[in-house]
Amino acid sequence: MKKALSVISAIALLASSVAATGCSKKEEATTKDGKTIINLWTFTDEVPGMVKKFMATHPDFAAKYEVKETIIPTTDGNYQPALNKALQAGGKDAPDFYCAEAAFVLKYTQGDMSSYAAPYKDLGIDVDNEIKAADIAKYSVDIGTNPNGDVVGLGYQATGGAFIYRRSVAKAAFGSDDPATVSAKIGGGSGSWDKFFEAAEELKKKGYGIVSGDGDIWHAVENSSEKGWIVDDKLYIDPKREEFLDLSKKLKDNNYHNDTEDWQDAWFADMKGEGDKEVLGFFGPAWLINYTIAKNCGSWVDTGEKDENGEAIQELDTSIGTWGDWAVCEPPIGFFWGGTWLIANKDSTKKEAVGQIIDWITLDCTKDGLQYMWANGTLNGEGGTKDSVASGTVMAMSDGSLDFLGGQNMFDVFVPANQYANGKNLTQHDEKINQKWRGQVRQYTAGNKSREDAIKDFKQEVADELDIH
Amino acid sequence: MKTKLKGISYSKYGYLFSIPFVVAFLIFTLYPTIYTATLGFTDCRGVLNDDYHFLEHPFENFKEILKNDSFRVSLKNTIVIWIANFIPQISIALLLTAWFTSHSNEIRGKGFFKVVFYMPNIITAATVAILFHSLFNYPVGPVNDILVSTGLRDSSYYFFTSKTASRLIVAFIQFWTWYGNTMIVLISGVLGISPDIYEAAEIDGANGVQTFFRITIPNLKTVLLYTLITSLVGGLNMFDIPFLFLSGGPDRATLTTSVFIYNLAFSGNYIYNRAAAASMIMWLLIAFFSAILFYIMRDKDQIKIDKEIKRAKKEAKRAAKGGVNQWQW
Amino acid sequence: MAVVNKKASSYAFKIFAYAFCILLTVLSLFPFVIMIVNATRNTAEIQSHAVSFIPGHNFRTNWNILMGRGFNPLDGFKNSLIVSVGSTACNIYFSTMTAFALVAYDWKLRKPFFTVIMAVLMIPAQVTSIGFYSLMYKIGWVNSFLPLILPSIAAPTTVFFMRQYMIPSLPMEILQSARIDGAGEFRIFNQIVLPMMKPAMATQAIFSFVTSWNQLFMPQILITRPELRTMPMMVSLLNGDAYKTEYGSVYLGLLLTVVPILIAYFLLSKYIIEGVALGGVKG
Repeated sequence: MKKALSVISAIALLASSVAATGCSKKEEATTKDGKTIINLWTFTDEVPGMVKKFMATHPDFAAKYEVKETIIPTTDGNYQPALNKALQAGGKDAPDFYCAEAAFVLKYTQGDMSSYAAPYKDLGIDVDNEIKAADIAKYSVDIGTNPNGDVVGLGYQATGGAFIYRRSVAKAAFGSDDPATVSAKIGGGSGSWDKFFEAAEELKKKGYGIVSGDGDIWHAVENSSEKGWIVDDKLYIDPKREEFLDLSKKLKDNNYHNDTEDWQDAWFADMKGEGDKEVLGFFGPAWLINYTIAKNCGSWVDTGEKDENGEAIQELDTSIGTWGDWAVCEPPIGFFWGGTWLIANKDSTKKEAVGQIIDWITLDCTKDGLQYMWANGTLNGEGGTKDSVASGTVMAMSDGSLDFLGGQNMFDVFVPANQYANGKNLTQHDEKINQKWRGQVRQYTAGNKSREDAIKDFKQEVADELDIH
Repeated sequence: MKTKLKGISYSKYGYLFSIPFVVAFLIFTLYPTIYTATLGFTDCRGVLNDDYHFLEHPFENFKEILKNDSFRVSLKNTIVIWIANFIPQISIALLLTAWFTSHSNEIRGKGFFKVVFYMPNIITAATVAILFHSLFNYPVGPVNDILVSTGLRDSSYYFFTSKTASRLIVAFIQFWTWYGNTMIVLISGVLGISPDIYEAAEIDGANGVQTFFRITIPNLKTVLLYTLITSLVGGLNMFDIPFLFLSGGPDRATLTTSVFIYNLAFSGNYIYNRAAAASMIMWLLIAFFSAILFYIMRDKDQIKIDKEIKRAKKEAKRAAKGGVNQWQW
Repeated sequence: MAVVNKKASSYAFKIFAYAFCILLTVLSLFPFVIMIVNATRNTAEIQSHAVSFIPGHNFRTNWNILMGRGFNPLDGFKNSLIVSVGSTACNIYFSTMTAFALVAYDWKLRKPFFTVIMAVLMIPAQVTSIGFYSLMYKIGWVNSFLPLILPSIAAPTTVFFMRQYMIPSLPMEILQSARIDGAGEFRIFNQIVLPMMKPAMATQAIFSFVTSWNQLFMPQILITRPELRTMPMMVSLLNGDAYKTEYGSVYLGLLLTVVPILIAYFLLSKYIIEGVALGGVKG
């Protein structure tokens, strides 16, 4: 034990000496070879990956600057406290530019933290003209505009949503898998759910569900409302959002869905067609197709062989799973879901340089810009994941056809979808309030409480935790 | 026999040896705590909280919190979940301690069991939450699969809309992650008891059960007090699992006071002042319950210690006379 | 030292005891098995059935994704080790010292001091953390391991445990005889008291090590430089985007994070298993 103790104390000494060297001394914000450091704060490696590409394609810039990224995931709830602290503390370690996700972007563009956001025009970006030239989706600009009317944040994706459906189910139930037919059946663009429920009844008779769970229609419902959760600092339940109680109840009582919860096992099972009953489809943006449904379609099988690295080779086997059995069409109500906005710190001393990166990511609509590569899946070479981007100009010259969608060009649907999306009914507390609302709706649909009680308890919860009455 | 002497007149060493603790304590704990306590009397809210003032009515935040429906609900939940987890936890930990330290009924492989039972405590709460969420998933999930395939239920059960089921699952997770920890603490307490006592008991012909209740438990009292207090404090401050597992739902069924306080302060409107007030209220409550425990447990303890001091004095005298070096283990 | 029991009841007891222990063993090992199995599966497999006992074939892929996403096990291991060993050493050594001060010496402020320690133990930690990291930012202790290590010097829980353990098991006459032999108080503590506290120290060392190794909130707020990230920070990075999480790699990362704790635990568990260690100690 004595020996062990001496070892421990030796290590402890070592530890504290190492820790001491890690202590932040007064360094210049430059690297050893004289490059100026730009700090980027974000929550995934997505934007850092883009910055890498930017550096590779802009050697002059890369010779002068180095971007240091701090990545803190949002999933543990630590990104915002850390970012807020770093912005407040300022100094050379403060972020020069940072990312915000749809769920909390309003806090940084219009809400409590918006005072730190620098207008894009101060970064040397000719923002109004460039937005016009790139044809950026309006909702994205609305969200990124601060209370003074200056654009302080823009994204690279456009996350306008569509209805993503199974061709085989459509054919069996409606006799056709054509997007126009399916869209007509579910009331695409009608702004009402009436047709949708007629279609649900029709599907039910043939033994199908229309969606996987009530979460699937929530994003569309949320976006269809006139006003957001908070009006004049008071809680406001928009009639369209209140109606979600009835819609959800109707889906459940009539057995129109598999009663799954989004992001849970059963929800993914429906993407493979392995749920209780097969369902027609999901509501979502392009990223939901590429990152979620395509990966969970059940058509990937192990070949039993391994490549030179010893990695199992997976093969597409379209005889199983749902690969190629999908298509997209216009949803009954326009909506958007997710997205990342880039914001520059007003206290940054390298605004010009930060502006160049932000411009390349959010507004450059040439083939050398980020968005063209992102839309066509060529950022890291051919064959990457295609995604819908913010610039309509880029979308128009890109090809969104996917084998997964049976060759359909998804951009035909997503370009208009991005225009229908509405950024006016958001508040900075949506994430929290939505969670409470959906919780109470679930209680009501499960038959655990009355409609009135669900609304009453919802109001109580919001008042108690957010002090919004 | 172990003995306890009255403090020796080396009292300055008492201060000396406490210095590192006190210094670290002042910087890292006391300052942040006072900072928090102060916030409870101010109008401090919002992310950018540099400009705040003391309230005209200093206890306004405290009053608001006591009127707050969610706070009351969360307090009730916390106590219910804690009791539902603590009773089985302490019982099973004591039972296992009795088995594993028994001199009469040797359980083979007890070393293995002792090591293994603590292992759930090693995994981070986030992982535990994900695992249990998928275990009880609806409509398809391992537990539901078993319920349906064994015919116990006709259709899947939606655990996470049921308040009772959700509370029970949270209590079970708490129990499952902590019983090993409690057991280890108790075992190490038993290991601190002199084997001589057990030998004496054996000679007197006591059986396993008698030994446990007459010798182990009374000698374990100080460590038992530790277990009770830390479980009480940990339980009433329960945060990780309720927060990560169902984030307080369904319908506030697993909303504990710590989760509520966290939500007030960090996820939403940054109502720091009320969060601070709620923290202080919780602190008073916990301190109150702990004081009761201390009182119950310490009373007899002190009497025993006093007695021992007396006896130790005598022994010390004798030892000094005879100059015997007493290693009595 | 066998006490003669009636055979039949002893038999029944054993069957019950073993059955119970085996059940608990299964419950305890279950998450580790899931972690290992899931480390070999791909995201889609895990998303559709998170709990499964059938391994997949994706270990290599998961490994490559893990390494490609800034997961640097060597750096992470080094950083986590510095933090955990440092804070465990501080925690155990100074807590025992404080407990010793509380038990062995009679000083005026002893009781109030103990009351303060207990009071601190009871404060809910969620909100006081604001004060802590604000202070750290103020004094510039960002990107340093010190704020993750030094607070362990004042660990009320451990002090409390050490005190409770010491009260019945520290024989004062040993201290006196050591004094007669001319040993200084500091030496008595280091050479006599510490070895006697071994089982208690091992127990608390495990708890402290595990807590420190797994901590995530403070490191994420205070450490922004990639080269200073700890293992749990690296795992949480894989989790960054709820929409595109690579679950297989997350489980592999978790597994890599758990292995060092398990090793530390198994090393220290010797003191938990072997009761005799205590009796055998000689100054």
